[in-house]
Amino acid sequence: MPVEVIMPKVDMDMASGKIMSWHVGEGEAVAKGAPLFDIETDKAAMEIEAPDAGVLHFAAPEGSEIPIGEAVAWLYADGEAIGEQPKPFAISGANTPAPAPAAAPAPDHSSEAASVVSRPSDAEAVPTADRPRATPSARRLAREAGLGIDAIPGTGPRGRVQAEDVRSALNSVATLSAPPGFTSETGPLAVTRSKGGTGTPVVLLHGFASDAPSWAPLEPYLKHRPLIRIELPCHGKSPRRRFPGFADLVKELRHAFDALQLDQAHLIGHSLGGALSLALADTRLRSIASLTLIAPAGLGPEINGSALTGICRATRAESLGPWLKSLVAEEKLVTESYIRLAMAGRSDPALRAAQVALADTLFPDGVQAFDLRAALDRVEVPTRIIWGKRDAIIPWNHALRAPGRVALHLFDGIGHMPQIEQPDLVGKILRAAV
Amino acid sequence: MNTHVEIEAPTRELSYAEAIREAMDIALGSDPAVVLMGEDIGVYGGAFQVTGDLVHKYGEDRVIDTPISELGGAGVAVGAALTGLKPIFEFQFSDFAALAMEQIVNQAAKVRYMLGGSVSVPLVMRFPAGSGTGAAAQHSQSIEAWLGHVPGLKVLQPSTPEDVKGMLLAALADPDPVMIFEHKILYKMKGHVPEGYYTTPIGKAAVRREGKDVTIVATSLMVHKALAAAETLAADGIEAEVIDLRTVRPMDRDTVLDSVRKTGRLVCVYEGVKTLGVGAEISAMVAESDAFDFLDAPIIRLGGAECPIPYNPELEKAAVPQMPDILNAARSLAKGQI
Repeated sequence: MPVEVIMPKVDMDMASGKIMSWHVGEGEAVAKGAPLFDIETDKAAMEIEAPDAGVLHFAAPEGSEIPIGEAVAWLYADGEAIGEQPKPFAISGANTPAPAPAAAPAPDHSSEAASVVSRPSDAEAVPTADRPRATPSARRLAREAGLGIDAIPGTGPRGRVQAEDVRSALNSVATLSAPPGFTSETGPLAVTRSKGGTGTPVVLLHGFASDAPSWAPLEPYLKHRPLIRIELPCHGKSPRRRFPGFADLVKELRHAFDALQLDQAHLIGHSLGGALSLALADTRLRSIASLTLIAPAGLGPEINGSALTGICRATRAESLGPWLKSLVAEEKLVTESYIRLAMAGRSDPALRAAQVALADTLFPDGVQAFDLRAALDRVEVPTRIIWGKRDAIIPWNHALRAPGRVALHLFDGIGHMPQIEQPDLVGKILRAAV
Repeated sequence: MNTHVEIEAPTRELSYAEAIREAMDIALGSDPAVVLMGEDIGVYGGAFQVTGDLVHKYGEDRVIDTPISELGGAGVAVGAALTGLKPIFEFQFSDFAALAMEQIVNQAAKVRYMLGGSVSVPLVMRFPAGSGTGAAAQHSQSIEAWLGHVPGLKVLQPSTPEDVKGMLLAALADPDPVMIFEHKILYKMKGHVPEGYYTTPIGKAAVRREGKDVTIVATSLMVHKALAAAETLAADGIEAEVIDLRTVRPMDRDTVLDSVRKTGRLVCVYEGVKTLGVGAEISAMVAESDAFDFLDAPIIRLGGAECPIPYNPELEKAAVPQMPDILNAARSLAKGQI
């Protein structure tokens, strides 16, 4: 039987991909792992390797849009009878992933415009690829646990989510507590807003190479307030582009914050998100009710450049794992399933490339290229810094440079991720503060 | 209606054929209404020597050679059952049921329904079945699914000497027509068989091996191939649960569904033609039940090829599931590769 070549899922929210060109012609042989074809998604273009060795037949026409998981060609063994095309192509009529940035007032995403082809008349055709492949057992387990099946990376054939994947997800740190429901909104950056909570909202800014769901362990402590999670540029579902410097990143973030139109907000930021929170507070002081900086960047030059580069560049769980373990004091917290889940979230080469470039801009030669100590002196809102004294990424004693009015919560036995390592400790402090 | 007698009887080794003969001997000896009928079952001892010398013990009035007309013989057997006897009718090959379908399907299976339950047909039919003997297309089929499709019939596929004796005696105790498919390759298989009278329940599958990783539901000879595959799988750390279906109709829903809820993976193995066969019914039963929510992989059916059984021995083997096929299917499922 020929090996079916499928449209791979290279991006978390990708529904289909467009075949740009074939590297191998009809009837030509290709080696396993050799470049086979190029695809373009609504975010990126990339080269796809041959899943196996074989002779190429029935390749989908260049320019056709194929849902993920569907066949784009078949590889036959040498001498294998060819016969008819094993099954027809599931060519997408609809370009379903509605490209949010194109609809929103986003001036700087010109690179994306080229790939956006609108065919609104096909809007009612819902391609099956929108539904994740999952076994009945996996769906049942996810349903019983209150997890969305589409949030779980599948390791089965064609990316199918199997029972074991759900169990891994349930065991992982990121999903220890079921988050309150979040809804997505459109804007310059990816923003998710919780459905519950009252009073002054809490805006959460994650750290470098992380994303919005990483706040899950802390969310149960904050659910009395509306939670707004902003994903940094080049992270999660936010657009990816190059920034000349830290100031440009702040500008982009300020743009997104302004679009939220909040009178007042509590700002909580971790690591790079801490630095950005501080920079944001510096220019939007009247909108900030309080500022919480968890292991923030920006208070000194030192940073563990090897760990940042290692995380950015890792393409496999095996290479990501050791660096993830350096983030925490207690390595046991970083389980194999957590690493697999984290790697699945970083499977998009375009995302990794964008973060490598961003790291090079923000932390050239392993040095923090921006200094926010002056801002910390200026920002006269209730401010606290939470840090673990076993932080191996940014030295915790940067906290000692804070002015006296800033509250310091310094913990022994915690690394760079206090909100994940000891969510109860951090959560109680925050619950009292916001 | 059946009373299944559970007794602690001493056991000894008998072949499958000897176990059948012993069951018929017990029935003939204890119930004067029981008669054996079939072609060459008298002095010749039966096409597969199953009846053996019973004619000498019980005489030609009770071990009756019938002419070479399956339709005629089956008609006499149905009539005898309607009028007070309990015939055990032997076909030389199950394939010849095609000649007697009118009597089996339109008479034996339906008379009780059509006469408002005022009569019953306490008839047992025995069908030497299956491939592996080099007997080609017209003497090697597995047609249990044909008869399993007929309401009013019970269809059994015992896989061990102990079961074939107990199920034959249970079939005789049943007031309605029961069809027993005996795989010809099993006739010489030996196993422990309790002495004396006992019955093995109809409609109850047997879990031959417990396991947590994948369920293999097999029938007849395939049970033994599945058990051999399970041995090899165990060496790989894969624990297969092997279920011997034993009865095709009525099918034991609970045993199969319980197992699928446990393992989440199902392989059906049967010698009859794959399409529209026993495995289709098992698969549908799972898909229609709440056990569906426990499936963690697609269901795999391994059945006979879509062709008449070939004469060439290699092709004959290739036309029905073999141990490596079961092994590969179960392993792929358990490893999440399918």
